[in-house]
Order: sequence, then C-alpha cells, then structure tokens
Amino acid sequence: MLTKKLPTLQSFQVLVSRYASQLAHQQYDVIVVGGGHAGTEAAAAAARVGAETLLVSQKIQTIGALSCNPSLGGIGKGQLVKEIDALDGLCGRAGDWAGIHFSILNRRKGPAVWGPRAQLDRQYYREFIQSELLSTPRLTVLEGSVEELLVTEPKPDEPGQHRVTGIRLANGSQLVSASSVVLTTGTFLAGSLFVGQTTVPGGRVGDAPSSAGLSHTLKERLRLRMGRLRTGTPPRIVKESVDLSLAVLHPPDTNPTPFSFLNKQTRCKPEEQLPCHLTYTTPGVEKVVKESLHLNCHIHQDTKGPRYAHMQSHTHAYCPSIESRVLRFPGRQHQVWLEPEGLTSELLYPQGLSMTMPPEMQLSLIREIPPLQRAEIHTPGYGVQYDFVCPTQLSPALQVKSTQGLFLAGQINGTTGYEEAAAQGLWAGVNAARRALSMPPVTLSRTESYIGVLIDDLVCRGVTEPYRMFTSRAEFRTALRPDNADLRLSLKGFEEVGCVSSERYQEALRVKNSLADALAALQDLTLSRHNWRKMLPDVHISDAKNSVLNGMAVLQYNQVSYEMLASCFPEVLCPFVEFSQRLKIEAVYKPHCDLQKKEMDRIQKEESMFLPQDIDYFSLPVSLSQEVREILDRFRPSTLGAATRLQGMTPAAIVHLLKYVKQTKKRAQRNRSDQREEIEEPCERNASLTQ
Amino acid sequence: MILSFISRCIRTPALYTLSKRIVTPPCRSVSHDLPVGLADAGTIFALSSGQGRCGVAVIRASGPASSTALRCLAGLTHSLIPPRTASLRNITDPNSREILDRGLVFWFPGPHSFTGEDSVEFHIHGGAAVIAAVLQALGSVPGMRPAEAGEFTRRAFQAGKMGLTEVEGLGDLIHAETEAQRRQALRQMSGELGRLYQNWSHQLKRYLAHVEAFIDFSEDELIEDGVLHRVDESVHQLQAEVEKHLKDERRGERLRSGVQVVIAGATNAGKSSLLNTLCQRPAAIVSPIAGTTRDVVETALDIGGFPVLLSDTAGLRDSPDLVEREGVRRARERLEQADLTLVVVDCAQLPSDAPEAAEFLQHHLKSVLSLQEQPETVFPVDRVLLVLNKTDLLPQVQRQNLDRELERVSGLPPVCLISCHTDDGLQDFLTVLHSSVRNLCADPLVGAPSLTQARHRAHLQQCCAALAQYQRYRDVDLALAAEGVRLALTSLGRITGRVGAEEILDIIFKDFCIGK
Repeated sequence: MLTKKLPTLQSFQVLVSRYASQLAHQQYDVIVVGGGHAGTEAAAAAARVGAETLLVSQKIQTIGALSCNPSLGGIGKGQLVKEIDALDGLCGRAGDWAGIHFSILNRRKGPAVWGPRAQLDRQYYREFIQSELLSTPRLTVLEGSVEELLVTEPKPDEPGQHRVTGIRLANGSQLVSASSVVLTTGTFLAGSLFVGQTTVPGGRVGDAPSSAGLSHTLKERLRLRMGRLRTGTPPRIVKESVDLSLAVLHPPDTNPTPFSFLNKQTRCKPEEQLPCHLTYTTPGVEKVVKESLHLNCHIHQDTKGPRYAHMQSHTHAYCPSIESRVLRFPGRQHQVWLEPEGLTSELLYPQGLSMTMPPEMQLSLIREIPPLQRAEIHTPGYGVQYDFVCPTQLSPALQVKSTQGLFLAGQINGTTGYEEAAAQGLWAGVNAARRALSMPPVTLSRTESYIGVLIDDLVCRGVTEPYRMFTSRAEFRTALRPDNADLRLSLKGFEEVGCVSSERYQEALRVKNSLADALAALQDLTLSRHNWRKMLPDVHISDAKNSVLNGMAVLQYNQVSYEMLASCFPEVLCPFVEFSQRLKIEAVYKPHCDLQKKEMDRIQKEESMFLPQDIDYFSLPVSLSQEVREILDRFRPSTLGAATRLQGMTPAAIVHLLKYVKQTKKRAQRNRSDQREEIEEPCERNASLTQ
Repeated sequence: MILSFISRCIRTPALYTLSKRIVTPPCRSVSHDLPVGLADAGTIFALSSGQGRCGVAVIRASGPASSTALRCLAGLTHSLIPPRTASLRNITDPNSREILDRGLVFWFPGPHSFTGEDSVEFHIHGGAAVIAAVLQALGSVPGMRPAEAGEFTRRAFQAGKMGLTEVEGLGDLIHAETEAQRRQALRQMSGELGRLYQNWSHQLKRYLAHVEAFIDFSEDELIEDGVLHRVDESVHQLQAEVEKHLKDERRGERLRSGVQVVIAGATNAGKSSLLNTLCQRPAAIVSPIAGTTRDVVETALDIGGFPVLLSDTAGLRDSPDLVEREGVRRARERLEQADLTLVVVDCAQLPSDAPEAAEFLQHHLKSVLSLQEQPETVFPVDRVLLVLNKTDLLPQVQRQNLDRELERVSGLPPVCLISCHTDDGLQDFLTVLHSSVRNLCADPLVGAPSLTQARHRAHLQQCCAALAQYQRYRDVDLALAAEGVRLALTSLGRITGRVGAEEILDIIFKDFCIGK
C-alpha cells in the first residue's frame, strides 16, 4: 500500500508562498497559525472538510518537524494515533512512512491497552507531512510570522464578546482575513528558553521567537486567562561516541504493525529496523545534579530554591527533567533509553535525560552513565517556559467561548506530546472549517474516543500541569481499543463530520460488515460441549449447566484462536480469516463492552442537552445557590452532561438548570410559532390537565 | 400544539437520563460521603406502605423484570394474572420454595402504571419478618435491586406521568432527599462499619493505582518488580475479607429464621413460668419441684413484629441424675447459640442486703454464662437480660433497696423485676425485650436502614464479583483484570463516595518514579 512517491521539493514551491504578496487570495475560510503536529493536522483536516485553508508557519522547512523525541505512539498515545488515522489525519500514515523501529507496548497486558509505538526517522517524517500538505487540495502554505489577530465586534446572533476576522502578518503589515483562525503556537507563546543561568526568548532552539503581539491580543484584548508551563528536551548525543555494548539491546517487533488502518505494511522492511538501547543512571548522575543546582535557574524555579524536598508530585510529573527525577526519587536508578534519530542520522536521543543545567555540566552528567562515558554532545538540552490558555475557556469544539471564530489546539491548551497536539489540531481544524462553511460544530464524546476524553478533560477540568494521555483516563477503556478505532470514528467521520475520504469510508464499511457477519456466523455455530471437545481436543472446555456452546463463547477461551475455529469450520469461517485477531478481541471484550453500554448511553444522552453559552448565570431566575452560579459562570459547561461533571455542582442545581433549558426551548419555539402568546401560561395549563 | 410539545419534551431520553443522573450526585462537595446510588435502569422494589407496624404492607416493584418477579414469587407458571385485578396467591421464596405469606398481588403492565413501566404490587401481612422475607426474595430475582429513595417518583416523572409544574418541586425534593441521604450516610459512615468500608475503598484505590501504573508506565519506566504480585495477594485477601463480612452479618438471617432467645438460670427460678407467661399458654410443665424441665422446650413467638424462637432450658446445677445431666448439657449448648439470653433469678434467693445481692447477681451471671474464667467481666449487654422473678415474694423494703442498689451498680446487663405469678413488671419487661430483639434484627422499618443495608449488601456482593474478575483475568488480560478492580471500587464507591481517575493518577505519581 505504501507505494506513494514523495514529490521533489521543487514542485513544492507551487503551492508554497514565501511572501504574502504572492498569495492567491487575501481571504480564506480558515487560517492555521503554526506548523507543528497540531497545526498540520488542523490545516489538513480543515481542507478535507472543504474549507479554503491557509497554513502560516515561521519556517516552511520546519513544518512537520519532530522538535523533541523521535518517536510516535506508545501507551495511551498510540490509541490517539489510531483515532487520528481513523479520522483520516496525517500522523498515523506519516508514522508508517517514517518508522524505523516498531513495537507494540503492553503486548502481554490485553488488547485494550496495547500501545502501538514507533521510533521515527526525523527527515522522513517531515518530508511525508510536507508532501501530504502539498497534495491536499484547497490548502496553501505561507512562510511568515503572525503579528496579531484581527478582532472585531461579535455577530449578534451567536454567543461571544468578540469575533476574529483574520490575521496581520509581521512583515509589511499585510492583512489576511478568514472566518476561522486556529492557533497552534506550541511553546512559542511568550516562550523562553533556559540553559544553565541563561534565558533567551524563543519556543525552540534555532527558531525566532514569535511575536509578542499575539500574546498581547489573547491577554489584553480578549482577556483570556493564561497560565505558564515548563517543559524540556535532552541533549542530542553523537552516536559514534557511545559504547552501545554497555547498554541493553531492545530489538523492535519482528513484524512491524502499521499505525494506519489503510496500511498493510510499513515502509521500513522488518529486517531494516534499528534497535533501541536501555541503560540506567548511576549515583554519579545524582551528584552532578546536586552540584549544578546553583547554576540551574529552570530547576530553581521549579523547586523554589533549595527546598526541593517539598516538591510535590504535581510539578512536572509527566515530563520531568532528570534533575527533578533524581531530586524527587534520590538513591535510585532511573531508566535512560538511547533511541535512534533516523536511518542515517549520526545522533542518538537519550530519552529520560531532559535537562537544563549548563552545557559543560550536561557533559559531565551524561559521562556518569556507563555507555556514555566518552559521549559527545551535539546539541545541549534546554528547558522551555511558555504561556498557555486555560482550556476551560474553550468549547468542546475547541473554539474560545468568548471569541467567535478563534480555535486553539496543542500545547497552547496546556497539553504535552505530539499525539495530544495532533488530536486537538484535527478536531479544531474540523470545527474551524465547519464554522467557516456555516455548518454546526461537532463534538466527540468521551464514550466513543480518547480524543473525546482528552477534549472533555481539557474543557471541563482544565490543567495544572502539562496534560498527557493515559489509558487510565478513559473510563470506557475496554471499548475504546486501538483495534476498533476505525469502527468508532471512520464511519462517523464520513457521515457526520466530513473529514474522512470516501476510500477510507468504504474500507471501514467493509470491515464493519465483515466483522458483523463473522460474529453472527460464530454465534450460529452451536455445538454441545462434548462435540466441541472432540473438535478441539487440546482445549479444556469447562463443564457447566448449559450443555450447548456457540462459537463466540468458545473463542473467548484463552487457548482458542479464530484460526483454530476456521480450520474446524472452513466453509463458514474462512472468508473472515483476515480479521482473525480483531475477531478474537471482539469475542473476548464483547461481554464487558455490553456491560458498559448502559452507562455510555446515559452519558451520551446527557451530552446531547445543550446549555446556551450566553446565559447570565448570576441573574438566571431559577433557584441556584451563589456558589453554584459562580461555578457555572466560571466553567460555562456546554452541555448538561458537562455540568454534572463539574466539581461542586449539586443534583438540585442540575434539575433547576434542566427546567430552565426546557423553558427556554419552549419559549424559543413558541416565539417562532406565535409571538404574541403569553409564555408562562401553558405550563400551568398542562399541570392542571395532568392532575 | 403546545401541550404536545411539552409532553414530548418530557419524554425525551435526555430528560430521562438527566434525572437519573441526579441520583448520582456528581459534585464532590456534597457527594463525598454520599452513598452514590447509581440508579441504572433495571427493576427496583421497595416497601411502599408506611413505616411502623401495620396490618397490611404494600411492596412495589417497577421495571422490566417485574413480570418475572411476579411469576417467581406468586408461583405463576403459565399466564400472568389479569392486569389491575387483585389475585390471592401464596407468596413463595423462589429459591427455597418456602411459603412466605399469602396475600394479594396486582399486575400493572406499562405504560398504564404509576411509573409508566411494568409494575407489580404485593399486599402482604405487615409483620417485619414477612416484609423482610419478601424483600429478600425479590432481591434474589435476577435484575431486581432495592430502590433508591424517591426512585419510583422519579421514574414516574421520567415516564411523563408528571407535568412541568410538578417538576418545579422536584429540584427541592431531590435536594431534600440528597440532604437526607447525606445525613444518613454521615451517620453510617461515622460508625465502625463506615470506617471498615472507607478502609477497603482506600485499599482498593491503591491497588487500582498500582495496576494502572503497571499498565500505563511499566514499559517505559522503572516500576519495581513485584508491584503486581503484591496487588494479587492484597486483592485476594480483600476479597476474602469482604466475603467473610457478608457472611458475618447475620441480621438478615435472624429476621428470617427468628431471634434465638434462651431462658437460663438455676433450678426453680421460674424459667418455665416465664416461657408460659410469654407465650400465654402452658407450653412447659411448671412445678415446685427443682429440675422439672429436663429437655429444651421451644416455642415460636412474635414479639412486636419480630420472629423469636424462645427456648426454655433445664436449670443449671450439678446433678447425679443422668437424664438431668443431659438436660444441663443441652441447656449449655443452647446457650452458646443464643442471640439473647434471659437469665432468670429467684428474688427470694437473693441475699437480703442489697450490695451483697448485686454481687451475688454478678457472680451468678458469670456462672450461667460460663464466664467464670475471665477475671474482668464485661457482659455483652445487648445479648443478656437479667430477669428477677417472683417479686411478689419480696418484702417491700427489700425491693426498694434492691431497686436503688441496681440503679447504682454498673456493669450489669438490663435488669427487669417481674412476677410471673402476678404479672407485676411484665409490661416493662416486654418493652425491654422488644427493644433488644429489634436491635438484633436491625429494624427494617425505622428510617430506611435495612434498605440501605440491602443496598450495601448488593454493592458489596458486586465488589466481590468484580474482584473475582481481577483474579480470573490476571494472567490473561490485565486491562480486563484492572477493569475488575475498577468495578469493585465503583461498587464500594456507591457506599463511600466516588473515586475519580485523577485520584488514581495522584497515587501513581506519589508512589512511583514516573517521567515522560
């Protein structure tokens, strides 16, 4: 399947403008600011939905760059990649193209928590993303820096205090207008870089800082609540200076499993894959960290001076530097993964060694680790501090509630990780396009996807530290598996959202029907336990009251595979043998998913009750306590479902809200049908009739 | 048109689920100690008639399994009874086939019922034992669970059986309900039992966090070896503990099979007279000859609505008579099984000096209850009543002194002075006896503690089953095993308060060294 030829960079320039004056239009449906994981998915998704889209990035060359780790997927994150792919996003296919080491994490812990993961070749990844964007119709890429957002009065028939109408570019003060703008500025929003005691403005080493104007617009003009977060990256190490024989070899899976539902294989041949290596920190590392503390302003801020013993688990829990790890858990060995950066790259990426101490101390630190005794640093590690917008100010469509047409995705919403950024980017792009094309917003429920969990957590709870996906965040984990993301999302993505190609849709339909047929065939295979034992002599079929078993029940047995059943009943089951693994998983998980169904339905129905976004909760003429009014005003839940999940809401308050919503709906409808009729009256009339 | 709109909006599924959600207080501030009753669909049942003893009690069930319940309990094998018509049936326990009562049953197929769902009513006799037995029998029907407070009303509302105006009151009603639930939960949660459940919940939270840490982080991070093994052991232990707890709680059983009340004491104290007085017939032979009662004489009684199995035993003394010795052995054996012991003492045998009498009683109790070996005696005060019989033989002055002394002395179980001969003090004694028996049965008619208990029991059973799921999937599929612990925690959470994903993550980050 992966026969696609990447176009040469010359042809690239056809659709890429380096100057705004060369732009074909000065007006677009959607403008996406930023070319990282969120920005590229947003731009591609918006164009897929049908919007004329402009992607503005500081440097065309860094579009699709992996700024930090050279890997994709993992536990929880792999689920996100599968879901993005199911919605026809880029990163799954890019991973299959650029992967040089594929493995499924948690292989022995059950298919619901399998974590598809790959080490990537940075260059291949970037090239794939760039070529995809190039071949996407309706998408234009512009190299440039955004000076500020154009903000004007809101449309009166929509909620919100402001409306975004486009952007002003830095050079030449040129304006480009659009119905929707998606900001995916990553760590560049008021970003500053830290190494040792030096601090310089910027979002990534080697790139210019983004304009202060954007930050200013968000804070001063739109009055958004902002916070500040930290992250960091490790030094890059010269591969040939490393003695890998002193580390533990970790080979990839012998048969690489592609991320994408469309791919049957990966570009990298199984035998061409590169290994990873695992090593550990030593007491020497701890010593260097302690000796360098006074020279490490990033860590100083992190730990508030020498009182690092008080450091709480919630500072930097998900992406900690080696400094904070050894300070929090002293006297232990910490894992360090030595990961390849690409097929031909001369660098290694030491995962787990993110650090901000001065470069010379970084060198002494890594040399305390046996395989790195003589290692050379190519680029030192550094820390980044950046602004994020408190995501509770967003709707589940990732639009800023107070500002019509402004969408945010990625680290600007307080998340960390490529996959989290890409997932939000895709969804923000979809909704930005839908808004521009006058289609209603779409939301994903936490009952149907990890993307839904991610967005719901962000907009309902907010973040206090960089948000990272874990499988334990998804309460319906057994139903939201990596294997069935296509059934959950591709169909909906085509039928309701409009971001999925017809090719993928047809394939998902075929899979869905085949699985349904196969499961029905299994269900119909009823044999006595005695006969099953004869068929499958090696399987211990338990004795139970009901003597008849169907194929589904037998497939649930640990030792039974679909292939075994297919060889017993070739004519009925062989047609579906390409889905062997999926069928086995379906059979085992079905009873558990059925159990969860009721709870999922309940949540989904609650989420279909919308609360108007412009309610003034303080003057709402219903019986609500001041405390509840404040909570509602602060979080402005978009559905009753979201309201019930807010901390501090009371059941009584929910009922009063419900009553209010009902009356408002009724009023709206009545106003349409008969403007002059009295409003409160029918309520009583109805009551007297029911008594 | 407006009316049809209103009725339509009342019937929307969203409204339906929203109202259900109400029972699950989502808010931390209120729900922290709330027994979060997840009112799923399913079929609910409850005692619908008033609290307190009454001639007829009405038990109502609503939901899809109502017809099954009706078939099971009213022994209807073929067709159901005609709708909305009274039928006199034997009410039987579907498992033991034991006849629990004979009463009227009604069948209201939906939507023409109070709740709009299929509903059944059982009109049965109002005794606590009968009510408890029928409630238990209903609970054993698959798909049935005890109703949350106010749930019938809510279902009626959801089914569009109530108008919008009535909804106005619902918010306040639910508020009051949750307030009441909260108070009740607080009351229960501050007790021994509450601490036990909290402790379990706390443990489970930790186990879940450790399993989740193993799932989400073990491949990338240093999760110490053996984390999972420790969880295995702990889950096993916890499951055993909960199972034991479920078995230990004998109150429900007592209600069904009767409280074992044993009359014991020295010969000729008037034990058999007491039995005859209580059952109001000469069930046991009474004579002035010491050692008249040789065997255990049993009689079933209804004391204030509670079933009591009263046993009269042979007087405790060393006797050369073989038959009497066997009688004393049986008496001792019966005493060991007693839920409540009535120690009968002949007043006339008491020393005339009041302090000496108190000391005598202490000593006597020890000997009857076989507690002589224990130096510091604390009587199980809720398990023993001291009955001083034959007050008619006591001189007035001595009685007054004795009364005063008994009030002063501490460490004795409740004391009743009666005369089986003149019925003196009998009313007071019955009151004391009734309250002891009620305590032993956990009166199902006061507030709704027995309903709450039934719910606790259901949740604890679910918790056990879920822990079994952990064991079953532990080596096959850790995600499904973790789901077991999660379900167990949810079940317990319905008693002790909800536990969210964030709390689990907090534990993970506190307990493990985890990075990116």
